[in-house]
Amino acid sequence: MDIDGVNEEENSRRVQVRFVTKLKPPMTVPPLPIAIPSNLTRLGLSTLVNNLIQNGNPDWNTQPFDFLIDGELVRMSLDKFLLAKSISAEKILEIEYIKAVAPRKEEEPSLHDDWVSSVDGSDPRFIVTGCYDSLARVWKAAGECTHILEGHSDVIASVGVINRKGVEGITVATASKDCTLRLWKFDTEDSINDPIRIRAFKILRGHTKSVQCVAAQNTGDMVCSGSWDSMIKLWQTNDSQSDGDLVSIKKRKGNDQADESQLEGEAVSTLVGHTQCVSSVVWPQQETIYSASWDHSIRLWDAETGKNSSDIFCTKVLNCLDVGGESSALIAAGGSDPILRIWDPRKPGTSAPVFQFSSHASWISACKWHDKSWFHLVSSSYDGKVMLWDLRTAWPLAVIESHKDKVLCADWWKGDSVISGGADSKLCISSGISVL
Amino acid sequence: MRYTGVVNSDVDDGLHNDQENQSNSSESHQGVEESDSSEDEVAPRNTVGDVPLVWYKDEEHIGYDLDGKKIKKRTRKDKVESFLESADDAKNWLKVYDEYNDEEVEVTKKELKLITRLLKGKAPHSDFDPYAPYVDWFKWDDAKHPLSNAPEPKRRFIPSKWESKKVVKLVRAIRMGLIKRDKPKEEQQFYHLWGDDSSSTEKANHLSFIPAPKSKLPGHEESYNPSLEYIPTQEEINSYQLMFEEDRPKFIPRRYTSLRSIPAYDNAVKDVFERCLDLYLCPRVRKKRINIDPESLKPKLPSRRDLKPYPVTCYLEYKGHTDAVVSISIEASGQWLASGSLDGTVRIWEVETGRCLRVWEFEEAVKFVAWNPLREIPIVAVSVGQEVFILNTGLGDEEEQKKIKELLHYETPVAPDDSGDKVSVASWHQDDKHEGIRLRHFKTVSSVEWHRKGDYFSTVMPAGESRAVLIHQLSKKHTQRIPFKLRGLPVSSLFHPTKKIFFISTKKNVRAYDLQKQKLIKKLETGLREVSSISVHPGGDNIIVGSREGKLCWFDMDLSSKPYRILKCHPKDITNVAFHRSYPLFASCSDDCTAYVFHGMVYSDLNQNPLIVPLEILRGHTSSNGRGVMDCKFHPRQPWLFTAGADSVIKLYCH
Repeated sequence: MDIDGVNEEENSRRVQVRFVTKLKPPMTVPPLPIAIPSNLTRLGLSTLVNNLIQNGNPDWNTQPFDFLIDGELVRMSLDKFLLAKSISAEKILEIEYIKAVAPRKEEEPSLHDDWVSSVDGSDPRFIVTGCYDSLARVWKAAGECTHILEGHSDVIASVGVINRKGVEGITVATASKDCTLRLWKFDTEDSINDPIRIRAFKILRGHTKSVQCVAAQNTGDMVCSGSWDSMIKLWQTNDSQSDGDLVSIKKRKGNDQADESQLEGEAVSTLVGHTQCVSSVVWPQQETIYSASWDHSIRLWDAETGKNSSDIFCTKVLNCLDVGGESSALIAAGGSDPILRIWDPRKPGTSAPVFQFSSHASWISACKWHDKSWFHLVSSSYDGKVMLWDLRTAWPLAVIESHKDKVLCADWWKGDSVISGGADSKLCISSGISVL
Repeated sequence: MRYTGVVNSDVDDGLHNDQENQSNSSESHQGVEESDSSEDEVAPRNTVGDVPLVWYKDEEHIGYDLDGKKIKKRTRKDKVESFLESADDAKNWLKVYDEYNDEEVEVTKKELKLITRLLKGKAPHSDFDPYAPYVDWFKWDDAKHPLSNAPEPKRRFIPSKWESKKVVKLVRAIRMGLIKRDKPKEEQQFYHLWGDDSSSTEKANHLSFIPAPKSKLPGHEESYNPSLEYIPTQEEINSYQLMFEEDRPKFIPRRYTSLRSIPAYDNAVKDVFERCLDLYLCPRVRKKRINIDPESLKPKLPSRRDLKPYPVTCYLEYKGHTDAVVSISIEASGQWLASGSLDGTVRIWEVETGRCLRVWEFEEAVKFVAWNPLREIPIVAVSVGQEVFILNTGLGDEEEQKKIKELLHYETPVAPDDSGDKVSVASWHQDDKHEGIRLRHFKTVSSVEWHRKGDYFSTVMPAGESRAVLIHQLSKKHTQRIPFKLRGLPVSSLFHPTKKIFFISTKKNVRAYDLQKQKLIKKLETGLREVSSISVHPGGDNIIVGSREGKLCWFDMDLSSKPYRILKCHPKDITNVAFHRSYPLFASCSDDCTAYVFHGMVYSDLNQNPLIVPLEILRGHTSSNGRGVMDCKFHPRQPWLFTAGADSVIKLYCH
């Protein structure tokens, strides 16, 4: 096979490669070394692998693959890649191929009445969106709104789904610029054509400025919120009245027909330390809260004691923050410049970001780690683009340009879709992304 | 004395010169006779007297004694014997042979002392004191007459005639060249023919001497047989004819086989004539050229990279106005932005997203908007025509809203104020349409400035003459005139960021007034034609002033009343200037559609002058009706700059 190749095309250099994969059998190729022209790019390698699979399995539909050499994605022609990484072309090169991570399908955008400010897709059954018309909506699929959460008097800045164990139904927390947070409960089972309008079961008051972000603890007992009054407050999510003085019952007198009782909650504790607006909070583990602020810092808090355990300083205003990646320890944050930065807090003695992705053209409004993959991230920017990133390459894997205006929020949904909302009042769902 | 000569003769080993002996002996005899103290001398036993001893040379005796008996000569010792004797005797050196008496005399100790004293040149006897104190026998003190009574002679008072005659003689000799003081100079016989005249120093002694420029030396092409590459082709020679006469080459090289065949040079006379003309007509001026590296003239400024962060790129735009945005203001926490436009609307924007939150519409163009500096009271003051509105933005939580509603509630007093003057200056009204307070002024209001505590605010009516600047108190709904006399047309007013000082800028000057003592503290002379805007450094001691001629003046109030620095950077009117509240930044925006960002560091050390470094020119706005950027404001917490353009867009430049 090698000798044939050399005789066929002598003018281009050839390298010996062996394709390996962790994919399931229909997508495997025989692990024999073959000689291929060194000027092949990802597209060339992908067609080659598709041809090889087709040889063994005639009714194979071609699909794009991505290629890894030494844990790095190939983003240029093979010879340039080898030269840049100073890998010897003499040895048999082992190339691992994975399914290319790119959206295959754009769902019909779900229209809102106003800008979509926030989105949460942490529950695979539904999507929650917060909107500038001060309503939050629950979507079962693209264009299928099941619930409308009404009650806020100002823009909803952030939504968060609370996973409460042992509790029926779904609880959602929303943060609004009317300085309050509200907690909502509903069931996904009812399937009615018209969306159900529901009211909050609990109002959390305490912030003096607009609340910018909300995040739930993974057990679902508590939520934390960051606000423009530069404070982070922790709240109880339970709906029982047993907490005594912390909870007071308020009868809604103005609204006659909805004479239901609404709980009011006060903050359990307040984390003070930031000097400016707290723009993003994450609560990935039981005891640690991460927060990003406009005072250019990312802080780690001990949720039990309320102590600030460590800081990471950036030079820019931070708008979004997420924790994930390798053993859920990497911090990704974006802000008032087009660079998405990723820090590794385990690395001692340095506060420099370990990765910097700079393909965006404007402020970064949201960034989220894929909850299964260690490598994949989604980010959205005011330049109207949503980008998919892989830590193994500096270039975006895919650029989703379905929005016409600023993208204000983005998230993963069901593990294979990216959902994003923007200033064009649309919720866009790009599905069919085969991350794993 | 007597023995001196004798001692010498003894040293001469007895071989005497007769003549010497004679003189010596005669002296010694004289000495004997002359000695005044003869008792210490032993009388000579020989009585021959002063006769030459040669007479007795051949005799048996040397003379006669006192009794007249012959004195016999002693038997002569031979030389060896006498030498041995002298060697044995330690005192031999003291022994002297007395020829006259024919005996050996030993010098005594006393005599030896005498001799040594004489040899040293001292007085012979030690008891003689040569430095005895002088005794003045004649006493002047009580003398009635001088020794000489003659008057001082006249010659002691007139210059010497003979001296002057001598001097005249010398002078004449010097003039005639008879006396030469320095050596004659050697004249140079040869000089460097091909040397550079300009560098020859001996000629340059002459102050205004400028050497004539050298004519060009002949090159290879002027050779009688130049190389082929110098010879122009026929085409080239023809092309010379097309040139202007001045550009044409003066000399066309040609080849000759030998020196013999060179013809006479046609232009010889002409060339020399032209050279003479050049030398004669060419004005020669010595140019003083100072060799200064232009780089060294630049002031040493820190690099821009070290002065980060400062606004650089525009990431956000706030679009919605339909006409030029005239004024912007940012809420104290930096979350909201208010803008006023010529389309008669005031808009509230969310800084973070560029979302327009609220719009108020007015009948006239909005001139000025200003947020209350307190975070707890999110209200906006807006000047529209002759009115100033205080508007409730509806932000903040319920408690704050309740407070604001109370603050903005105004009931028209039942009994109208009796002092008619005050009412005519400005009147307070409740405005239901815009949910706020309306303050009606008697002239068009150009600007509104809040005091830092958020209760007082000042309004400026440029056409208001003596009542042009008013101070209002929101909590008491009270208006008062400033207690100072205004000079000139007021442009804007400002409250000092920390002290009770009030700045009023007129078209030419800026005045600082103490509000408590109600008097003028300082007058800053800008030297500008027309001041357009003014901003105070958060420290309060530095002021920047922008002018309609594009100049920006920085005043250090501690330093002087003249500008510390004038920056001429904008080709068109400066519309506004702004200081950052916490970062050492300031900015100016102009009708040339640009905004300049500067680093303006004020040191707490009073000896150190402020450091001003230009950082960035921010472009992006487009011109509309000849206006460019109308307003610029810094974000209160971030190093960001907002600019409002006549193209109805507000831009946010981030670091």
